[in-house]
Amino acid sequence: MNELMELLSNDFLPKLLAGMVVNFEIAAIALVIGLALGLLLAAGRLSGGVATAVTVSIISLMRAAPTFVVMFFLLNAIPRDATLFGSPFALSGVMTVALSLVPYSAAYVADAGVDGIRHLRAGTTHGAFLFFPNVTRAFFVMVMSSSAGAAIGVTEGITVILRQAEQLPSFDDRLVLFALGIVLFGIPLQAGFMLMSLFQRRFGRSTVEEEASA
Amino acid sequence: MLSVILSAAKDLMAAAMRSFAALRTTGVVLCVLIAAVAPARAETPDAALAELLKQARAKVPAACTQPTVDRLIKILCAKKIRVGIRDYYPLFATRAGDKREGYEVDVALAIGRMLGVDVDFVRVNAATRIPLLAEDRIDLAIATMGHNTQRDGQARFIRPHYYRSETTVVGPRELPVASMLDLPGRTVCVTVGNGSNAELVSQGARLMLFDEAGVLPDRLKDQTCTLAAQDDSFFAKYFTDEDFNARYFQKFGFAQVPWGMAVARQGSAELARALDLISQVFHRDGLFIDIGRLHSIRLGFLRQQQEVWRTPECNTDAGTANPRCVLPPLNTALPPTSFAPDVTSFEQWVEDTTGVDLTLPMLKTAPAWSLFKDGVFYSLVLIAGALAATLAFALVLGWAMGSRTFLLRWPARLLTMALQSSPIVLTLVIAATIANGLFALSTETVLGAAIAALGLTNGANAGQAVGEAMWSLRAEGTQGGLFGRALSRASTQIVAFLVNAAKGTPIASFIGAPELLSSLTDITSFSSGRITTYSMLLIFYTAVVMVVVWLCGRLRLVLEQRQAAA
Repeated sequence: MNELMELLSNDFLPKLLAGMVVNFEIAAIALVIGLALGLLLAAGRLSGGVATAVTVSIISLMRAAPTFVVMFFLLNAIPRDATLFGSPFALSGVMTVALSLVPYSAAYVADAGVDGIRHLRAGTTHGAFLFFPNVTRAFFVMVMSSSAGAAIGVTEGITVILRQAEQLPSFDDRLVLFALGIVLFGIPLQAGFMLMSLFQRRFGRSTVEEEASA
Repeated sequence: MLSVILSAAKDLMAAAMRSFAALRTTGVVLCVLIAAVAPARAETPDAALAELLKQARAKVPAACTQPTVDRLIKILCAKKIRVGIRDYYPLFATRAGDKREGYEVDVALAIGRMLGVDVDFVRVNAATRIPLLAEDRIDLAIATMGHNTQRDGQARFIRPHYYRSETTVVGPRELPVASMLDLPGRTVCVTVGNGSNAELVSQGARLMLFDEAGVLPDRLKDQTCTLAAQDDSFFAKYFTDEDFNARYFQKFGFAQVPWGMAVARQGSAELARALDLISQVFHRDGLFIDIGRLHSIRLGFLRQQQEVWRTPECNTDAGTANPRCVLPPLNTALPPTSFAPDVTSFEQWVEDTTGVDLTLPMLKTAPAWSLFKDGVFYSLVLIAGALAATLAFALVLGWAMGSRTFLLRWPARLLTMALQSSPIVLTLVIAATIANGLFALSTETVLGAAIAALGLTNGANAGQAVGEAMWSLRAEGTQGGLFGRALSRASTQIVAFLVNAAKGTPIASFIGAPELLSSLTDITSFSSGRITTYSMLLIFYTAVVMVVVWLCGRLRLVLEQRQAAA
């Protein structure tokens, strides 16, 4: 335990917080790309005919693709000297993890987007606003999933914890360190979920009232 | 009587003559045998080299215009030898402008002096050193080239070898790693295609792959890698840096590879013979050691070789053909599968038909095939286990969270909250740490830990939905069969988290579960075809998850029908 305290008195906490910022950064990139792609897919799904069939298949495939495998696929399938429109296109570790989360985020946004558009068409604007808490939920799920970056050497929060754990000889100290990690990841996550619940409760109630009056 | 005496005398004479002839024959046979058995007076390598060069020089300039003449004659005609050398391999061959230096540079210059010719350096790298020999653009390659059975068919290696490297595992000084036995479960950073990767994999190490060795020291410094494995000659330069040396240590070495100079297989017989003899003399006289000391490379192998080449048995013109004196090439050939030729034919057919460069390394060699089969099997076990565990934890935690008893409800809620707050990678590591603390490290332990972690994470979320469904049913005043109805009501959430558990199984490779992702990463570390391999992996897991989605859809239908019936 003393060793753990010595460790914490050094630069562990700043490093961990910097690592957690990377988790949020990865999730933000994945969400932005997922929003663009997902809304296009949602529009395609509601357009009818062949476009609906095609987009439904794409969304199903995206939903089924495991993030961790997509990450290793991107890491290994894109050549280091690849170019895009004549410019070098080598993915950084952060971008690799972010892009591996895009299938999930795009599929999620497409599903939530379809619900939102249906609410808008039905004239229940508050129901359509539920799109935002749903997307926020996806964002926090991706913050947690971005810890997969530890497997390819991205210095995010979990990587920092695991590196420190390797320096600790005591089993108990390691468990305490892991518990600390859970608390630090849990605070923003639970706060986010709480905020989302408040939002959902408020708009959920409004939606019921809106639908009742419609 | 006289006739009898004469007859006896004749017989005696004849007998004596026969005895003499027999003796003479015996003597000749003995002499021949002795001559055959007695050791011939061996010629020294110096004398053999001098004679070889004398004969070659005698052909100059008459043979200079002959196209099929041996490269040794061509070198003597041109008065220069073209040596393929690397531009940047610290301590061995580096270039700053026109200035080259390093162990291999000085060895090449010493060879030039022995042959009495100038040295023309030609830049080569790992990919070009053998093709340039075959294309007659260089006469000799001295380019950090390990001598293995695979390369033996592509170039004529000079023996004795001029250096020997080994794969060294480097890590922080304080890290308790001393041998292969300490590697199971640890991640080691390596370069793709390194011949020693297969051995690391067989010892239970997890590999993190990089394309270039040059990034490994930086990845050690930024702590991306805890351990890195690479040729000791590569790390030699870094250990001359005080800061690096103070922080890192060569934990242990393995997979020793002799380095060979090489000439083309065709038209270089006399050149190769001359270089064999030169290398032999350099070892015996300690010239390799002197040059090595000048460039601060490790001298252990060179000292050992000097001892060998000073022995009377090896210090002869036939020493380089004596298996007790020279080292064999490293055997890197992996045994092929019985169907490897069919796989190669199939790959060729696909390329001819579609133009797609398909490579299926997992089907071609026995170790890769074995890893692949195990990977598929353990992946399916992991998925089945994760689904069962998710369902079990969902039922138990759901029942506890839906309970009216405070002592059951709150521990379940706290556990769920903790699991929701822990990224899955961390949960897996915690499960593996606890499992390894309780049981001996094994495949079963790791799989068990992964199944428990995936089941707990997804089961807690599904259980929360079941608990909430129980409370909502109570609020509606439902009486009897509450738990069954709650399961039906939470069916969508249960199914969602079952699918999530199946999707999450590949992440178990992070703690060393030997599933398909782990297996294919190991296979690609010692073979080619990364793009095909990872494409197949993506297709496999996506297909499996889609099957799970379909099965879970059926389950949800059953649960919803039950709810409707109720």
